[in-house]
Amino acid sequence: MNARSARAAAPRGSGAPGRTAKGHEVSGHGANGSGPRRRGAHPVAWWGWALLLATAASRTGNPWLLLLIAAVAGLVVVFCRGDEPWSGAYRVFLFIGLSAIAVRMVFYVVFGGSDGSTVLFALPSVTLPDWAAGFRLGGVVTLEGALAALYDGLRLATLLVCVGAANALASPRRLLRSVPAALYEVSVAVVVALSVAPQLVQGVARIRRARALRGNTRRNPADLMRTVVAPVLHDALDRSLALAAAMASRGYGRSAGIPAPARRTTSAFLLIGLLGLCAGAYASLSSVIPSPLAWGLLAAGAAAATCGIAFASKRVPHTRYRPDAFGSRDWAILASGAAAVAGTVLSGYFEFGLLWPATNPPQVPPLPLAATCGVLLAAAPAMLVPTQTKEGPA
Amino acid sequence: MRTIDPRPRVHWRGSLAVVLAAGFGLVATAWPLLASPGGALTETSSGPWMFALLLPVVTAVVLVQLSDGGMDARAVAMLGVLSAVVAAVRPFGAGAAGVETVFFLIILAGRVFGPAFGFILGNTGLFASALLTGGVGPWMPYQMFAAAFVGLGAGLLPGAGRAPAAWRGRVGELAMLAVYAVVASLAFGLLLNMSFWPYAITQGNLAYVPGALPGENASRLVAYSLATSLGWDLGRAVTTALLIVLTGPLLLRILRRTARKARWIESA
Repeated sequence: MNARSARAAAPRGSGAPGRTAKGHEVSGHGANGSGPRRRGAHPVAWWGWALLLATAASRTGNPWLLLLIAAVAGLVVVFCRGDEPWSGAYRVFLFIGLSAIAVRMVFYVVFGGSDGSTVLFALPSVTLPDWAAGFRLGGVVTLEGALAALYDGLRLATLLVCVGAANALASPRRLLRSVPAALYEVSVAVVVALSVAPQLVQGVARIRRARALRGNTRRNPADLMRTVVAPVLHDALDRSLALAAAMASRGYGRSAGIPAPARRTTSAFLLIGLLGLCAGAYASLSSVIPSPLAWGLLAAGAAAATCGIAFASKRVPHTRYRPDAFGSRDWAILASGAAAVAGTVLSGYFEFGLLWPATNPPQVPPLPLAATCGVLLAAAPAMLVPTQTKEGPA
Repeated sequence: MRTIDPRPRVHWRGSLAVVLAAGFGLVATAWPLLASPGGALTETSSGPWMFALLLPVVTAVVLVQLSDGGMDARAVAMLGVLSAVVAAVRPFGAGAAGVETVFFLIILAGRVFGPAFGFILGNTGLFASALLTGGVGPWMPYQMFAAAFVGLGAGLLPGAGRAPAAWRGRVGELAMLAVYAVVASLAFGLLLNMSFWPYAITQGNLAYVPGALPGENASRLVAYSLATSLGWDLGRAVTTALLIVLTGPLLLRILRRTARKARWIESA
């Protein structure tokens, strides 16, 4: 929405894209992420798909199904990701997920948990005195308990991996264009931040070089503060004032006569929405208020707040530069994610035991049919979306 | 001719929104202790996920209210640059709980540019850094929310109007900011811990028991904090306070100079 003005506002040399005669955009810097005509799917579609997949993962404890979900997410990432700085996020989140499993297992071994009959090994156990909460440390480690801890850790890891897939697939710069117009100023600030951050790094290099040329190569922290940090910050902040002057001289920040009633209505919607959310949150804590009422209050509050944001967005008149349309392919991606959720819901009705396999007695759980089909359908984006490449139409 | 302060102002609607958001945030993080047995939250396990989804809505509403009527271009540009600085220093903090090197900047900026600026900077700074590093996770809404309130609180500390002239005043200001940093870091750690506790562990002595008495869950929470994150929290508090004491004099001077320069004259 605001790419035009934000790019115009961004300081010179931050790589505003030039355009060739054919109207194709030549990306000035690779991190822009948006190819010319046919580009990757909409970032909101990717986030929706990943969150739906995560929802499916949160509805099951079946290890095979969880592994399948993680594999599907990985497959789609491998097929659809571009060559961008954030494209490696899937691997990072995979490691975070694995460490979540490890932490869960360590916790089980040290602090104990659900018990079973198949003893794997026994650790020396200590029972803390009552004043220290009376916990037992160490003790018997059983196969059943270890399996339960493993399944549980696997579920959390799968959720994290789904989020990692969204991080790898969705371009943050395009995502920023989908921020509601009411948050225009804030999103401009983030856009400015994203283009200033590389300049800061350059600034540090420049000033260190100048310092070295003057014969100062000391590594004393106090000296570095005074001769590197201070000039870099002064420079960046002075540049921000120049940028502000540029924005103000182009008419940025002039309030377009918004009628007072419209303004009051928006404010009322927003505040009522917040009140509803607060009331709902407190109601959900209490045991006196029936839970449908609490959830209803929360939903009504969220709806009012969303309406308020939508209203506020309506009244900010601004033009869209190359609107990022949400096309049929993006809907298809969302639908494939929804298929995974639908599959787990169906399995929840018909094969509940397979969705939450018992760990006591230990057994190899079979795959639930409906959920498996749904999760496999969620791999469809791998075929729908071409690999995002940096240059030229895909 | 009149001078215009570039700091975002806080209307009564903005303050009301902030207060309501704080109330919501308290429930969203402290619900494991507050929920009474038989309540809506203890019946299902979907409550925390719902809070993680609703928190961005609440944050967005507060941001819309705070920037109501248009923010000054100077404030927007300064927010952008300071967010970039936050994003640049964040990787120096360690790993997953790595917010240690971020707080001192947000606190100092909130002190100089006011509570609304601090609130927005907490959001935009962490958001920009998450976007730059591809680290948008389920913890991000909580972190943004908490950092926003850290910045807000720093702006609300007494005597924020002008720089203290005497050296005694400057030392007093730094001491106050350092104490605030310790309190804010510890509270941040505890609240963040509490919000994530029910996901992080579900069985054993340290796990959250849905619907148990608050006293029992509190002792489990204390044990969990001791076992997992007390070291991190103390480290965060100490590093933030130290960074404020070490860099505060210089950074406060730089930020105040910019604030003075930004107050340019506009013909009415």
